Amino acid sequence: MAKKIGVYVCSGCGIGSCVGVDRLAGEAEAATLGGPVRRSAAFCLEDARQIQADIEGEGLDGVVIAACSPRVNTDVFRFKNTFVERVNLREQVAWSHPPNEDETQALAADYLRMGIVRAQKASPPTPYTAANERTVLVVGGGVAGLSAAISAARSDYGVVLVEREAELGGYAAKLHRQFPKRPPYDEPTATDVADKVRMVRSLPNVRVYTAAQVREVSGEPGRYRAVIEGPEGPAEVECGAIVLATGWRPAEPEAYAAYGLGAYANVVTSVAFEAMAAEGRIHRPSDGRPARRVAFLLCDGEGDDAHLPYEGNVASLVALKQATYVRRQAADASAYVFYEDMQTPGQYEYFYRRVQGDPGIFLSRGQVRRVAEDRDQSVLLDVGDTVMGGDVRLAVDLLVLSTGMRPAAADADGQLGLAYLQGKNLPTTAFGYADSNFICFPYETRRTGIYSAGAVRQAMDLAASVRDGRAAALKAIQSIEKSSAGQAVHPRVGDLSYPDFFMQKCTACGRCTQECPFGALELDDRKHPVLNTNRCRRCGICMGACPVQIISFNDYSVDMLSTMIRAAEIPEGDEEKPRILVLACENDAYPALDMAGINRLRFPSSVRVIPVRCLGSVNSILIADAVSRGFDGVALLGCKPGEDYQCHFIRGSELLETRMGNVRETLGRLALEPERVQVMEVAISDADKIPSLLEEFVRAIKAIGPNPMKGF
Amino acid sequence: MAEATLIQPDLDFKQAILGLDAHDLSFCYQCGTCTAVCPLSTADNPFPRKEMVWVQWGLRERVLGNSSIWLCHQCGLCNAYCPRDAKPANVMAALRDYSITHYAVPRFMGRALEQPGYLLPLFAIPAVIFLAILAHLGHLTSLPAGRIVFSKLFPVHYIDAVFLAAIGLSLLGAVTGGVRYWRAMRASQGGASNGARPGGHVLATVLDILRHRKFLQCGEAPAGTRDTYKRHVPLAHLAVFWGFAGLVVTTTSVGIGLYVFHYPTPWPVWHPVKLLGDVSGTAVVAAAVVFLWRRIADGQKAGKSTYSDWLFLVVLFATTLTGFLCQALRLAGVAALAYPTYFVHLLLIFFVLVYIPYSKFAHLVYRTVAMLYAESTRAATRA
Repeated sequence: MAKKIGVYVCSGCGIGSCVGVDRLAGEAEAATLGGPVRRSAAFCLEDARQIQADIEGEGLDGVVIAACSPRVNTDVFRFKNTFVERVNLREQVAWSHPPNEDETQALAADYLRMGIVRAQKASPPTPYTAANERTVLVVGGGVAGLSAAISAARSDYGVVLVEREAELGGYAAKLHRQFPKRPPYDEPTATDVADKVRMVRSLPNVRVYTAAQVREVSGEPGRYRAVIEGPEGPAEVECGAIVLATGWRPAEPEAYAAYGLGAYANVVTSVAFEAMAAEGRIHRPSDGRPARRVAFLLCDGEGDDAHLPYEGNVASLVALKQATYVRRQAADASAYVFYEDMQTPGQYEYFYRRVQGDPGIFLSRGQVRRVAEDRDQSVLLDVGDTVMGGDVRLAVDLLVLSTGMRPAAADADGQLGLAYLQGKNLPTTAFGYADSNFICFPYETRRTGIYSAGAVRQAMDLAASVRDGRAAALKAIQSIEKSSAGQAVHPRVGDLSYPDFFMQKCTACGRCTQECPFGALELDDRKHPVLNTNRCRRCGICMGACPVQIISFNDYSVDMLSTMIRAAEIPEGDEEKPRILVLACENDAYPALDMAGINRLRFPSSVRVIPVRCLGSVNSILIADAVSRGFDGVALLGCKPGEDYQCHFIRGSELLETRMGNVRETLGRLALEPERVQVMEVAISDADKIPSLLEEFVRAIKAIGPNPMKGF
Repeated sequence: MAEATLIQPDLDFKQAILGLDAHDLSFCYQCGTCTAVCPLSTADNPFPRKEMVWVQWGLRERVLGNSSIWLCHQCGLCNAYCPRDAKPANVMAALRDYSITHYAVPRFMGRALEQPGYLLPLFAIPAVIFLAILAHLGHLTSLPAGRIVFSKLFPVHYIDAVFLAAIGLSLLGAVTGGVRYWRAMRASQGGASNGARPGGHVLATVLDILRHRKFLQCGEAPAGTRDTYKRHVPLAHLAVFWGFAGLVVTTTSVGIGLYVFHYPTPWPVWHPVKLLGDVSGTAVVAAAVVFLWRRIADGQKAGKSTYSDWLFLVVLFATTLTGFLCQALRLAGVAALAYPTYFVHLLLIFFVLVYIPYSKFAHLVYRTVAMLYAESTRAATRA
């Protein structure tokens, strides 16, 4: 494959005064790549046009731009249908290493060689554009779903809205009042859910199915097929993206047994109390008499036996709101609120203050020790750990327990019935929330093209659910647009590449289908993987998983990385010049290395950094390649694994951990010290830690001694 | 674990306290900054954080049967440092105000001193008594002739008889109120079992009061910090306290001189006892002027002044001022003004002394009881 490659070596931004640019250009010329080798003091200015002219004039297949980091000037150095390799001579050479030294020059030369071999192997991908259905399927007709439907429909996308119950509106329609949404944030107000329902009914591009449920979803973003089962029998709809807004259900009553729910007539949940208030009669269920003394209990205590995980700040606000219902009955009515954490974020602080200012509402932190019943069926409440000193007992007409908001996705019937190999259910976080639990990516579930909104994603109130629905609709629209153009949605937005399987060599082990965090791969009847391209997020975890290395991208493959590793020159017999390979996650670790350079922090010149899409995409054979090539050590810089992961692809760093077992075993077989390969956690904000982290590793490697495989 | 105590949140009580310029207490979120900055709060009896939540929860018995409300000397640091501007000092003042009425015997007297509507009747009581005496002596129609001698208008034994009887009653009220407060403190702190015996601690407490030990501690605010608008209080109170004591000594000396040595009034102006009276009276007037001036000049920065605050201060000021006025008019020989001023002066003295257990002056009783209680419980805990 004789490719025509142009090489452009920039000397601006301090590169020219740090390394011998002429020598670099000379080496590139000697490599006879068929294209021009040019130099400039600033390729990012007018000279960028020279590159475009060369591509057109000389018919280049790829260009290597040895200048600044691939993370900057991306728009300047984007050329249609041409593979562009960026060699980072600025942030990671000139700005982070001593100028005019042999080791710095060697570093720059290695990077240029690595870039050139990659460009020789890579080619621009052909986008996959077969899926372009533009309808949004919204599941759930509560406020979040209604808001998503309205947003999508008003943006001229077709909407199919499916609601389980006979009427739209969800729980909001059953509420007596909602928390104040507008200044001065002092009085609970009526909900406006009826307006939203009317609006949805009036929009011509919204099809509504009530008393219906989504039974099955198959396909991929841009061409999902959903089977909806309603009163008129099953219907099949095509859609491009899905918003899951199935909301929440009250937590199981058994969870409140310790508080006397079920045992005592005058103990009720906040959901039951809301219904009571909506009917306009706050009373004791035992005898129907008005309830003048009402206690509210936020079952939010960590030390609490019936600790309910689902409440967030909603429980606090519900209790405050319902306390105002009690007070509205009579001047001498009293509401008592016990809590562990009173959470009233944002403008709700004003509401909290308003409630605090009502003399008939008594607030205290505290833990309920015991609930009992008096002879007249009043509820006796023993509360400890208050700020009043000692345990207190209170007799009330009614005890209201805050209801846990169990996300609907925690139950099978709140799910979508995905026809995916990895399972029918949308993967959820610890408590059943349909979320990816990564703070930077709200609304993203672990299934591409399916976005969650409202209480199914996180316990939240009406105002937040409305915002959520709107936002998730935008994500759905983005997914539709990107999918139809063959681009990745997230987090590699706009990436046109996708994995290609060299199926003749597939051993049908199925590991790629299991390890894909997004369920993009299905199996055919021969147990071979089948890619659903638009479900794929292009992380390359399958490529890292494949034991026979048959999975590759046009511009990213095991072969490409292996050739890059072998392109580095390994000095022999010089103990002062070790060589360390660093495979750095492009999401966090690589930017942190760049930032170290931007801050002019020095790190060892013996390090050769290759960015990877995710540590999960690192095939263990690459590490074996590096040590057999003569690298003295390998450092894998990536994100935090585990339950509170920071991995952009959820399981990448975790999977690498498991693969490291094999790697250490391989090293042992080669009679090499397992300490030569290390995984390090680097967050995007860790730039200041980069020098010491790498220096320490280099010191440790020097202490072990040179790699005995050098020169083989 | 100790048995939980039944609480009955009292909304009326809470609202009464809120109404005594303590309405901001709702915004307390129990951070405890007030207690941390209070120079008088101790580890075994901290305040005013707990009083805040007790009032928020309407725990009437707990708050009133609590020594802290009277141990506080109102330095205002808690107000200055409260992050929510909940004004704990106002709450403490309101509680003291309320507790005077609460423990008053008879009850109606406590209420009468709280409400402006009762001001006239309260002055009418001594006025009627004194007018009756004047009528009996025939002095209503004509003033005594000759050199101005006040005992010509009111013979001393008449005055003493009236005052001794009235003060006797008021003393009874004061003692009963003090005992009720003591019992309430005992009850709310687990009955008599805590072993608080006042006996051996009277002297220490009295010495503390005479020295203003607590009060001066109150002034020890951290340097260069926020203004409390109360920095004048310890010294001004020291002056008014010793001035008032001096006046009591003066009056007692005159009594002894009269009855034991038959030394008739008026005594010459150079007499040491008279000089003591002049110095003491000056101290009281000067301190009262400082108090009045700061209350007016600082506006509501140190908390709004309530009716009982003004009443007490103005009456005390007027009493001392009319005393001086009587002496001046007597020496100037203006009988037509001297005798009526003397009459007013007597009314004011009656008001100050006889209404002690019911006016703000009751702090004399309750603060002493609280300090004695705190001293003896501390000793009992240590033992």
